Amino acid sequence: MALFEARELHLRFGDRVVLENVSLAFKAGKLSGIMGPNGAGKTTCFNVLTGRYKPNRGRVLLEGHDITGRPPQEIARLGVARSFQLMTLFDEFSVFENIAVALPATRARGYDPIGQAYADPALTWDVQQILESAGLAGRADDPAKALPYGARRALEIGVALACKPKLLFLDEPTAGLGSDGRARLADLVRKLKGTLTIVIIEHDMEFLFSLADEISVIHWGQVIARGTPAELKANPWVGASNLGRLN
Amino acid sequence: MAPGRLVPTFTPAMLVSWLLFATVPMWIERVGLYQYLGVEILIFAIYALAYNLVLGHAGLPSFGHGAFFGIGAYAFGLAQFNLAASLWVGLAVAVLAAGLGGTLVALFISHRRGIYYALMTIAFGQVFWFIAIKAHSITGGEDGLLKIERLPVALGIVTFDLRDNTALYYFVLAVFVGVSLLLWRLVHSPFGRIVKAIKQNETRARFVGYDVWRYKAAVLIISAALSGLAGGLFSMAQTSAFPDVMSLHYSGYVVMMTLVGGGLVSFWGPVVGAVAFFLARDMIGALTTGWMLWFGLFFVALVLFKPEGIAGIFAGLATRKHKTTSAPVSNPQPQER
Amino acid sequence: MGTLLNLLPHLVNGITLGLLFALIALGFMLILGLMEQINLAHGSLFALGAYFAYAICAPRLPLPPDVLGMWAAVPLGWRFAAAVVLAPILVAPFGLVLERLMRRTYGRDPLYGLLLTFGVAMVLEELIRMVWGTRDYILPVPREMSGGFIMLDLIWSTYRFWAAALAIVAMAGVWAIVERTRFGAMVKAGAHDSEIVQALGIDLTRLRVWVFVLGTMLAAFAGVVLAPLWGIRPHMGVDAVVPAFLIIVLGGVGSFWGAAIGGLLVGMVVGLSGAYASEWSMLSMYLLLIAVVTLRARGLFGKKSVLEV
Repeated sequence: MALFEARELHLRFGDRVVLENVSLAFKAGKLSGIMGPNGAGKTTCFNVLTGRYKPNRGRVLLEGHDITGRPPQEIARLGVARSFQLMTLFDEFSVFENIAVALPATRARGYDPIGQAYADPALTWDVQQILESAGLAGRADDPAKALPYGARRALEIGVALACKPKLLFLDEPTAGLGSDGRARLADLVRKLKGTLTIVIIEHDMEFLFSLADEISVIHWGQVIARGTPAELKANPWVGASNLGRLN
Repeated sequence: MAPGRLVPTFTPAMLVSWLLFATVPMWIERVGLYQYLGVEILIFAIYALAYNLVLGHAGLPSFGHGAFFGIGAYAFGLAQFNLAASLWVGLAVAVLAAGLGGTLVALFISHRRGIYYALMTIAFGQVFWFIAIKAHSITGGEDGLLKIERLPVALGIVTFDLRDNTALYYFVLAVFVGVSLLLWRLVHSPFGRIVKAIKQNETRARFVGYDVWRYKAAVLIISAALSGLAGGLFSMAQTSAFPDVMSLHYSGYVVMMTLVGGGLVSFWGPVVGAVAFFLARDMIGALTTGWMLWFGLFFVALVLFKPEGIAGIFAGLATRKHKTTSAPVSNPQPQER
Repeated sequence: MGTLLNLLPHLVNGITLGLLFALIALGFMLILGLMEQINLAHGSLFALGAYFAYAICAPRLPLPPDVLGMWAAVPLGWRFAAAVVLAPILVAPFGLVLERLMRRTYGRDPLYGLLLTFGVAMVLEELIRMVWGTRDYILPVPREMSGGFIMLDLIWSTYRFWAAALAIVAMAGVWAIVERTRFGAMVKAGAHDSEIVQALGIDLTRLRVWVFVLGTMLAAFAGVVLAPLWGIRPHMGVDAVVPAFLIIVLGGVGSFWGAAIGGLLVGMVVGLSGAYASEWSMLSMYLLLIAVVTLRARGLFGKKSVLEV
């Protein structure tokens, strides 16, 4: 059984069909990729899977349980975390606090109005671990808004990791990065691979082909192909839609 | 700051300012002012601190907070007339009633933010104000609720009389100390940090698992309840309650105090703002009839050039020497359902 | 049938009131629609319009006595007409200055625009107090427009109908500008996508200035029209601007017809509830708003707006 499954999702905005009959399945422990040109509906698809939009039809299942249409915070609490293509950090916070506030341990004490927020040494240790795995070890006390772009990208993933997810959605993690940054990010994702289930939207084909176990291609709101990187390279549809070069 | 992240319960600045406030009755008359002014300033400092929980810490622009202050004022008087002639009962009822009002408003507006939040709070503020004026049999309408007594502080064996303004000042100071400690703890608690996170990025907060609606509602309710406490103290101080504190003007004044003092960047900013507001009223007011003209112009200038307020100006002077070179990164926030 | 006839005056009352509310909201709506800025000083500009109209109609102007005497000798009808035209023009510079100040807040948190205009409202109100004092004034109305008439055995105020007619004229004018001119097309495009406006080579800065000035003049015009009905006093601005907010929220931000219909709806509800509980009739306005906005988050005709984020 797949860890996470989407069955025949339909989504309309007014009279525009954005997703049509999209079915996806992500296996536990694997790294799945979603490719497609701009405007193909990849991010919208993520938004449906993580609760931002409610689909008009279709079902979303996590470990076999129906989570269709649940609000984002509930889905997040079930162990689904995500990053954003347009960065959404807590800009006035330090790097430390960006991670700390996203930890389930902080959330569990969320309605404590008197206690110290981050006094627990276990929590501090936890944050350090996450910062190290995201390659931000020395930057705990930098304000998030002062970080260089690449480090912000890493923090974007770090905040998602802080949720201690079973399943991690990454929306265009390399957006805006140069080749160095991409390489560093690929390293980070490679380290995470195997420790948890990951789904990545990406239109950098090379990046995905080098990392993914399985890739789905979305075009015009539909899944037009899926398979391992090797299978897809041979797929005439993928060649025809000229992926990767389009963007 | 090292990653051992304890925030002290008492800070030197806090203790110094409390001590300073404690000496006020000894010299305020010598500088040509009067004891009651100190009472007013402290009450509005409590009010502005409570208000800043919403504006500064949660980023929710409420323009109808006068309603909660007013509810507290009326509730204090009504409790005294109808329930029990006890200071504690009066203040408790003021807090509860304003908290209840806050709950009602929160139910309707906690899914909103930004300008829509402001508009809705204006609308609700007007509703409460209107009711206060029209419910003549309860509130006395525009004539106000008169003959509210300054009840004595009963602490078991000892009682303090508050009819003297100096005594009242020290009682209000005690409440101020309590409220400021409480709020200081609150903004550094998990709850407070999460609220701050929601202010910066509601979307992200939701996607890391927070029920944003509940936090926004809770913040408004707490702020309303404490504003009601200030309102209760105010009706006791002036021994009457009037609807004008619930008007759009008065709701705007607390916004002005909070911003002028630097509530957007500093915990103590609202206190600075309350002091500045009343000193301006009395000192500019002594020179010219149109003091609000000058205060308003000052406010406009701050909004345009230094929204961090007076606290921001001082912080700017202090850190001018070691300027950081980091450029802020713009962070466009996507639209949200 | 009898009850219907009893309700008729309240209904007519409500419709005229609704038109007047819509008139007040018009300028506010224009600025909100294009610039996504709440102009809390709208009410003060409205009040300024009324005070200027008073200065023109009941001449106590700082002019040489013989000029003043000549002006006072002009029939009131002409002076009133002059006020209707001149007061908005005299208030327009205030809008220009406000827009200049507002420029610094563009692209920042909309909270700053709100705070700025609140501060300006306080300043303008205080200025009014310093110049005219705190007393009430009554704007004299020419004999042709004042008084009352009897219809269906009821006495109707003549000026109320004149005011409603002027409101219709103003609304028709704004409708024509927004729907039928190039300027209007730009305004509408700007409301939805300022990038498109700029891509089309439209000078957004100038467009904003004109919209702001137009909004200001409409506020002042509304002030002149309403002054004979509601009286002139320093806080008349706040009294007027609150219904304007409510109407905009009710009708939906950025929708011209929403504002017009919202105004009518509010007027009718206030008018009709006035038939049963006149003391509380204004409250029904707030309750209507809360009901509508609870059921329809964006108001009756609202589109999704940046303001919601």
